[in-house]
Amino acid sequence: MSVRKQWLRIASAAALLLGGAAVAEAQEIKFWTLSFDNPGVAKAFDKITKDFEAANPGVTVKIENRGTDEHKSALRVASGSDQAPDIFFMWAGLGLGGEFIKSGLALPMDKYYTEYKWDDEFIGPALSFSKQYTGGRYGVPFTFRGEALYYNKALFEKAGISTLPKTYDELVADADKLAKAGIPAITFGGTVNWHLMRLMDEILEVQCGPEKHDALMAMKVSWADEPCATKSFEELHKWTSKYMLKPFMGIDNNQAFNLFLAGKAAMMLEGNWLVGQLRNANKLADYGVFTFPGADRLYGFGEYNYISTKSKHPDAAAKFLDYLESAPVQQANVAVFGGSVNKNVKSDSKEPLDLAWQAIFADHDKVFVNGDQAFPLDVTTEYFRVINEVASDHLDPGKAAGELQKFISARK
Amino acid sequence: MNAFASAFRQPGLDRIDPILVILWAALIAIAAVWIAPFVFIVFTSLKANSTVMGSSAFSPPTSLEWANYSGAWARGRFSTTVLNSAVITTVKVPLGLLISAMAAYALSRIRLPGGRALFLLVLFGTMLPFQVMLAPLFTLVNGFGLINTKLGIILPYLAFGVPYQVFILHGFFSEVPKELSEAALVDGASHFTIFRRIFLPISLPVLAALLILDFVATWNEFAMALVILQDNGAWTLPLGLMSFQSQFQSDYGQLNAAIVMTVLPATIVYLIFQRYFVSGLTSGAIKE
Amino acid sequence: MNIRLSAPAQGFLLLAPAFLVYSVFAVYPMLDVAGLSFMKWNGLTADKQFVGFGNYLYVFTQDTVFWQAVRNTILWTLMSVIFPPAIGFALALALNQNIPGRSPLRALFYLPVVIAPIAVATIWRWMYDPFFGLFNATLTALGLERLIQDWLGDRNVALYAMFVASVWQTVGFSLVLFLAGLQNVSQTLVEASRIDGAGRFQTFRYVTLPALRPSIAIVLVLSVINSLKAFDIVYGMTGGGPAQSTQMLALWAFTQAMQLGDFGRGAAISVVLLLITIAIVIPYLRWTRSHEGAR
Repeated sequence: MSVRKQWLRIASAAALLLGGAAVAEAQEIKFWTLSFDNPGVAKAFDKITKDFEAANPGVTVKIENRGTDEHKSALRVASGSDQAPDIFFMWAGLGLGGEFIKSGLALPMDKYYTEYKWDDEFIGPALSFSKQYTGGRYGVPFTFRGEALYYNKALFEKAGISTLPKTYDELVADADKLAKAGIPAITFGGTVNWHLMRLMDEILEVQCGPEKHDALMAMKVSWADEPCATKSFEELHKWTSKYMLKPFMGIDNNQAFNLFLAGKAAMMLEGNWLVGQLRNANKLADYGVFTFPGADRLYGFGEYNYISTKSKHPDAAAKFLDYLESAPVQQANVAVFGGSVNKNVKSDSKEPLDLAWQAIFADHDKVFVNGDQAFPLDVTTEYFRVINEVASDHLDPGKAAGELQKFISARK
Repeated sequence: MNAFASAFRQPGLDRIDPILVILWAALIAIAAVWIAPFVFIVFTSLKANSTVMGSSAFSPPTSLEWANYSGAWARGRFSTTVLNSAVITTVKVPLGLLISAMAAYALSRIRLPGGRALFLLVLFGTMLPFQVMLAPLFTLVNGFGLINTKLGIILPYLAFGVPYQVFILHGFFSEVPKELSEAALVDGASHFTIFRRIFLPISLPVLAALLILDFVATWNEFAMALVILQDNGAWTLPLGLMSFQSQFQSDYGQLNAAIVMTVLPATIVYLIFQRYFVSGLTSGAIKE
Repeated sequence: MNIRLSAPAQGFLLLAPAFLVYSVFAVYPMLDVAGLSFMKWNGLTADKQFVGFGNYLYVFTQDTVFWQAVRNTILWTLMSVIFPPAIGFALALALNQNIPGRSPLRALFYLPVVIAPIAVATIWRWMYDPFFGLFNATLTALGLERLIQDWLGDRNVALYAMFVASVWQTVGFSLVLFLAGLQNVSQTLVEASRIDGAGRFQTFRYVTLPALRPSIAIVLVLSVINSLKAFDIVYGMTGGGPAQSTQMLALWAFTQAMQLGDFGRGAAISVVLLLITIAIVIPYLRWTRSHEGAR
């Protein structure tokens, strides 16, 4: 054997070793997301990560779950440290996902959009959130959530409500009927501030209309000068004082849901994810859903998964996200996830609530997002405070809009 | 009933003092109120969620729902948090005591330039609320790249444990008779030797008391862990409980099982080492 | 290996580990918080901007929660100085009598002290649950439905409800310190005064109370300091709600910095709390020193 050949063999052996080492080098993808609504979702994710790991030796996916508020603050801190996850879940609105893009935690993903042809794979409304930034495309659609009013059929019947309300006034009239029958119309959990906020958001949409509502949330017009803002706070107070299951300030959204399940209130303003929870509780047949009457746009939001700028394995992370959102995976889990943002996925559910949601999504092409997704963080905190002050009868609803504007005006 | 044989009597008197009997009854009543939360928590921890929502709050559980404990253990990631808490505590507590004892010895037994000022600095530290510096502490630990690490939490724990322990040990060492160390010094022993051979052994009871107190304080610490340990793989027991509450509050049985499991270790340590708590608390505070 | 260090050198070597870690992780952050309070900084990016007293100005005049937090902190501190020590004092006097079961009773009253404050918060939050918790269930069972409250959701009640939990946790602390103080009361004097015909109250007033003076001072000061730091229990029970009505300075400083990302404003709030603490601590330290000197 010539010396040259020997060298070649050594070199190729070394290359093999090195190559082998590179494959074997563990790539851990840390994925921070919210606590899963129900065990079905957890099980689905377990299978998805296992299958992905099997198909991609050397890559492990570690999912970490947190409650909503812990998740937000953990991410804020992560963005200032070197301990950030590779992939993180975030709502796609400007006030939440947008903040992390502004602070530089989210990686521009134009490259992956081209590589994986995501533009051909997702439904339009879900995709739109990735296009709202000038610096590039950020994040991958994970879900698109709509929020609407769920109602307890038996309680509606008991109160003599035979047709669902079509206008906001009819809704209030029905709430009145329920109240007369001794049934609290709706339940919210006050300790998590964003729950009660949903009612305020919907009322604003009804009272102000889409354009003014958007302008208010963008802080381009003064809350103090818009009569519809003050009117909305007055309406909110009407609900909290007359139609709400009490007490509500001391419980959270999950407790409110428990009470809703127990038939203590007739309605709940929740997202399409509630179908999964109702299925879990074996109560699907007892409930129906309709969009908040009087609001033209659908109340909802996009949920995204972003790749962190601090990820050491962004390519593997993108590959995982592509796998997670791929048609086969989404199709296999469409029932558990309660829908999909992949446009090639067909739901075959015959469940009336699923069908109702499909109809809702088909009927609406415009969306408005939750207040905490539209406002920056500090204004959100103040928005929560003002809403809660009104709800707990501590602030005259007529002055609430002015109070909020005072805070907005003082920002620099 | 030996305990009652001489009870209820004023010292030196034979007849039973009725006022003491009334007092005693009142104390028993207050004690019942004091223990009620524990009973309520344990009862709830053994009930199924449907029972919690359906039955009276005081009724003892009819069928014991032990599954709440295993469920909460898994969901609350207790195997991780218990281990983290145990590691952090077993490293921090003895190490902290050692460095505090060394410092206390130096401040109390060696004439040091600026020693008085250093002691005042320590004394000042006993009163400072670290809660006001959570954010800068986070920035600092982050600057060292130690966020989410055990070292990153142990170092601040050590720092905030030093003042109280130095203060107490300083008081104790100051009262050791001079002759004890001076004889050794004359014999040519160094201060290191005297500290190790004489002062550590005689201060064992105080050290034991401080050890127990510090164990509980470290085991229970929440605020600092909240800012430094963000990654749930690094969480300690209190962080795990808080997260459990915010995620699964409506799962009443499991929530209470999680509370019981969080509270149990400190309770057991307390019940075993009770007398050290009292002496640890009082040795420093009631000296004057 | 027989190099002999001078005594001070040995001393400083012994001091070094404790003072190093104390300076870096306790003293420096305290100075840093003062410095940060003059900056605008989001805690994430590298650029800090000097804004003079801008943060203080904002906190004092614009912040919608700050003064509420100040009021709550003061009220909380006042209540903490009065109730737990008073209850602890009464219990200590009772437990110091010749009655059976003193040790188990003392152990029971002290038990909540060793429980993590965050666990105390969780326990009480559950007991205050408006639908299934202990309090409302008890009231219902007693037929007192009209007294049912949304304990942690009603702004007029929440702070006090939280304080009750704090009392449960802290009474044992005062109790044990007072009991220890009572050991210093001379039994001979007590008996002598009784033989001299002094009543219970007079014995208490002229023999017991004077001997307890140092214990009382210490319990009060420690209660003030501990209550100013109230954090865990607020975080765990209400998070400052409803509508920030139970917010306190320590938690609000944390919220501003760590959750809203304004480290400057958070630091300014911290400095206010720090100054309040120092204003209470310094006189106490001076008092202790003069007291020591007089001894």
